[in-house]
Amino acid sequence: MISETETPINNDHELVTRTQGGDPTAFDELVVKYSPRLYGLIYHMTSNHEDTNDLLQDVFSKAYRSIRNFRGNSSFYTWLHSIAVNMTINFLKKRNRRQHPSLNDPDSNIENDPDFIAATSNGTGDPTKQVSINELQKKLNMAMMKLSHDHRIVVTMFDIQGMPHAEIAKILKVSEGTVRSRLFYAHRQLQNSLHEFKKK
Amino acid sequence: MTHEPMHKVIRLKRYEQPPEGYFEDFLREFHHRQRAELLKPSLGTLIAERLSYYFSELRVPTMAFATAAVVALLASVAILRNPVQSDAPRNIAASYDQVPVTIPKMQPVSLRLDTPTASPSLFAPATMMLRSRPASHESPISF
Repeated sequence: MISETETPINNDHELVTRTQGGDPTAFDELVVKYSPRLYGLIYHMTSNHEDTNDLLQDVFSKAYRSIRNFRGNSSFYTWLHSIAVNMTINFLKKRNRRQHPSLNDPDSNIENDPDFIAATSNGTGDPTKQVSINELQKKLNMAMMKLSHDHRIVVTMFDIQGMPHAEIAKILKVSEGTVRSRLFYAHRQLQNSLHEFKKK
Repeated sequence: MTHEPMHKVIRLKRYEQPPEGYFEDFLREFHHRQRAELLKPSLGTLIAERLSYYFSELRVPTMAFATAAVVALLASVAILRNPVQSDAPRNIAASYDQVPVTIPKMQPVSLRLDTPTASPSLFAPATMMLRSRPASHESPISF
């Protein structure tokens, strides 16, 4: 399984060629390889596990149906992420605000993360002022949901998934400058929403 | 202005993971869905089935539709291969033998109702006289 921040190795060409030649097991390998990353991308955009599952299925179905038209002008990774981003944004436009979030429980390793410790203790070291994991998760989610789709997608890809600006620009088909600008404004908005976690 | 603290806080969202075993089940679900999609007839298939059922109810001879389709195809091919020759403009005026009427010299005329003063009679018909004086020289009230 690829971690959120790991850069995928581009050995997809062979798998894509085999899939185009009619070998469905090659596409299975691509599904196994990319589902964790795409899950993260869609989940942090929708804040809903069930919607993410349905969308992820749709994304891979669409990719499988369209893979014969994939000419390799971009990497498979970029192509697949573009499909996921477009389908997710279309879904969010239709869903709007009618659905409540369905969040996954954070991994227990979060408690050992120094950034988590720093954020939840408010830098005072006073355990009585500590914020619970659930409270932090709720606040982060609310702050993310306040962002526009364009801002949320760059925050998801850059801050959470650790993608470089250039890769995000390719997927979103915008310039790197636009990515940086969107990140700047998104961070500023997040800071206003999460002012209690701001470092003094 | 740095947003590094914000970056660190928002990065904590990466710990939100789906339940264990989710990705193994995901591939199974994907295969199941693909098979279901294959079994589910497409819109085109449904329309074709409906049409074939409708036409089968009409009790038309089996070859009639095939013949009609072939005739339609041949007719369309014939039309496409022999388009109407309409490149040269047709000179309709040249087909008439009549010589166009031309008036060599035209003068403006005025219409005047003259009642003969010599023999004023109620029964005498009024005469119309065309006078060769330009209409522009007439006063507005000339009757």
